[in-house]
Amino acid sequence: MIPPRITPSEVDVQQAEKRILSNGVALYTLASEDFEVLRITFVFRAGSAVQTVPFSASAAANLLSEGAADRTAREIAEQLDYYGSWFDVNIDRDYVYVSFAMLSKFFDHTLEVAEAILLRPTFPEEELRTYAAKRKQRLAIDRTKVDVEAREAFARALFGARHPYGISSDEALYDSLTREDVVAFYRRFYTAERCFVVCSGRIGEHELEAVGSLAERLPHGVAEPEPLFPEPETQHEAFVAHPGAVQASLRLGRLLFPRQHPDFVGMQVVATALGGYFGSRLMQNLRERNGYTYGVVAAMVNFERAGYFAVATQVGTDVAREALEAIYREIERLRTEPMPGEELELVKNMMTGEMMRILDGPFGIADVTIENILCGTDNAVIGENIRRIRSMTPADVQRLAQRYLAREDLVTVVAGAGNPMA
Amino acid sequence: MIPYNKTTLANGLVVVVNRDRASKLAAVNLLYRVGARNENPERTGFAHLFEHLMFRGTRQVPNFDLPVQMASGDNNAFTNNDYTDFYITLPKDNLETALWLESDRMQGLAITPEKLQTEKRVVIEEFRQRYLNQPYGDQMMLLRELAYRVHPYRWATIGLTPDHIERATLADVGAFYRRHYHPSNAVLSISADLDEERMLELAGKWFAPLVDTPARADVIPQEPVQTEARRREVERDVPATTVSVAYHMGRRSDPDFQTADLISDLLAGGDSGRLYQHLVKERQLLSSVNAYVTGDLDPGLFVFTGQLLPGVAPEAVEAAFREEIEALQRDAATEYEIEKVKNKFEATTLFGELNVMNKAMNLGFYEMLGDLAFINREIDCYRTVTPDDIRTYCSRVLRSENSSTLIYRARK
Repeated sequence: MIPPRITPSEVDVQQAEKRILSNGVALYTLASEDFEVLRITFVFRAGSAVQTVPFSASAAANLLSEGAADRTAREIAEQLDYYGSWFDVNIDRDYVYVSFAMLSKFFDHTLEVAEAILLRPTFPEEELRTYAAKRKQRLAIDRTKVDVEAREAFARALFGARHPYGISSDEALYDSLTREDVVAFYRRFYTAERCFVVCSGRIGEHELEAVGSLAERLPHGVAEPEPLFPEPETQHEAFVAHPGAVQASLRLGRLLFPRQHPDFVGMQVVATALGGYFGSRLMQNLRERNGYTYGVVAAMVNFERAGYFAVATQVGTDVAREALEAIYREIERLRTEPMPGEELELVKNMMTGEMMRILDGPFGIADVTIENILCGTDNAVIGENIRRIRSMTPADVQRLAQRYLAREDLVTVVAGAGNPMA
Repeated sequence: MIPYNKTTLANGLVVVVNRDRASKLAAVNLLYRVGARNENPERTGFAHLFEHLMFRGTRQVPNFDLPVQMASGDNNAFTNNDYTDFYITLPKDNLETALWLESDRMQGLAITPEKLQTEKRVVIEEFRQRYLNQPYGDQMMLLRELAYRVHPYRWATIGLTPDHIERATLADVGAFYRRHYHPSNAVLSISADLDEERMLELAGKWFAPLVDTPARADVIPQEPVQTEARRREVERDVPATTVSVAYHMGRRSDPDFQTADLISDLLAGGDSGRLYQHLVKERQLLSSVNAYVTGDLDPGLFVFTGQLLPGVAPEAVEAAFREEIEALQRDAATEYEIEKVKNKFEATTLFGELNVMNKAMNLGFYEMLGDLAFINREIDCYRTVTPDDIRTYCSRVLRSENSSTLIYRARK
């Protein structure tokens, strides 16, 4: 009594409409009348990789809403909360994403606050000090967790401890972060040249005009040479001692390439088969067969100027060595045995379904659109990627694994009570 | 506003469907009315362990995940103190795959001693990862133990100790399955861009053949009224001390729930909340602060919690929490503040209706609460809360004799 199963072969997504404003900022729209809400996201190329003073990038992003020329931090919070509007700032190594989501009927009120936040932030000294104290404490707490220790050590091992993608700064440096550092960062990087905007949900002419007029007032930046981007210096093993930890955090992987590389999508298929879903080889082995862990993942991670393959898990201290060996063996198996056709079919279906789930709802579509713009493409690439995934053969999977996942190229990092690599 | 159709099958299964015209996905949610509150005090953590076992295969489908993934689907589950929830999203044309699998595992589960042994290890690792190997991981456990003496809410879903999980037997598994996993103890909800009648018909096709095995409802020991303030201090290897204060409150379905929720929002809803503005920003006592209500089937907790900045004494924070409560009693919330919370509720509701999974899950939850129509009426209850309601609620609930205070001290 098994019902029929249909494999969706096409995933089509609406193309964003693009207009270029007078100051060069690109404004993308994904309009849909089905909803009573909308979201506006401003993306700035102002992530932590471009900072020269530790924590200045994240402080600039997170303090945008903590005081403007015409209103205090409290008034900003009050005005956003009053209308149920949702404001969020995210930062990664390369970019800052400033998003406002709101009920359509409160668009004008929310945009007025958005304007103060983006164009007139003042970064008051006392707000900076409160923020720095809080962040310092939170980072200290995070660094008592083995998974955070391993994550930071893994970035250092892949790129080098002083590389913009590898560096982790001492939390005590929050104390020496000054208002001038933050203001200088904002002036330099929150400019028209480094920004684009994506709107999704119920967007009419009025909303589009208003967002455009705000973005048009972003100032031009001073032309400056791109900061140096050093060659990564990879170290193949690292261990962070954490006496008394009941679990060890394991990270394995290697530097590869960013999303634009022709093998990126293929390596996503390889990573998914290995550890990208509940039935993956590593989950079956480490969790289902051996009970070493609650969860394990493998993925391709994309930065603007680099990309890497990674496996991450937390396991019982007493089985760390066995778990590491099991991970190496599963990677080796991808290289030596062709993947059964049925398993590959499953992985492809999973990945297609995953894309459909990410694209469910106007905000999900906006997120994918942003990612595509950042990679220099548009939403047509979604269909293309799905076709590439679907055309992968067992021989392709094996060829990629052989080429990119040789044992001697892998970086292994462990944070825990004892060193299982010793 | 979520439009829905509802029916009850002859075997007692409640089915609720919603047509979503925008999504290409179908969301299927199956809620069982069993959670940690139904557990034996000597076998805590069992409902959650059982949730894991539901993925361990049936006589007909040895690997549950395989057909879900083949159908481009994704599935997961969670357990809390009140209920256990299983959910699947997949392309809408594959809806029947989800219904087939859920109906199959409602009665066909095949657990072997080996499967049970592996799953116990996974859950014990989860216990370690999320509760023991995590700074502040046992904080909520300690607060529950302090606030509840009798009611099973005194333990967390993960259980009191890994030993209880270790001791679970195959006989326990069989008994629990028969008692709690049957049609009349479940709610099936679906949201997809399909005709409502068609969805109900498909639900009937897969679930109507199941035979119900009704059981008498569990008698849950109710918590006696607390008459004096409780207090406990522990010391842990954490970087910052925290203070938590819990007050006994009513049920999720009580008429004063929206008042309680509104108060917690006045205190801690966003950066403009009173606690954040007063205690984090102005007085710089705390690095973070929260106030929330648990919203459980049985009487729950209204919790204040804050993480102290270096050099601040816990007593100063306890006093500061009390001052905020007194301020609410003295100068009640204004119309303005109440309007704000109402706007927030409306926004949260509309944002939550943007994807099919949220809708299916919410339909199941409100049906479990006992009043499905309330899903679209609850907003009116927020609208009618008055400043006087807030004052009365604070004096009745947020009193010191009704409080349990946990000081979670950072070891020097």
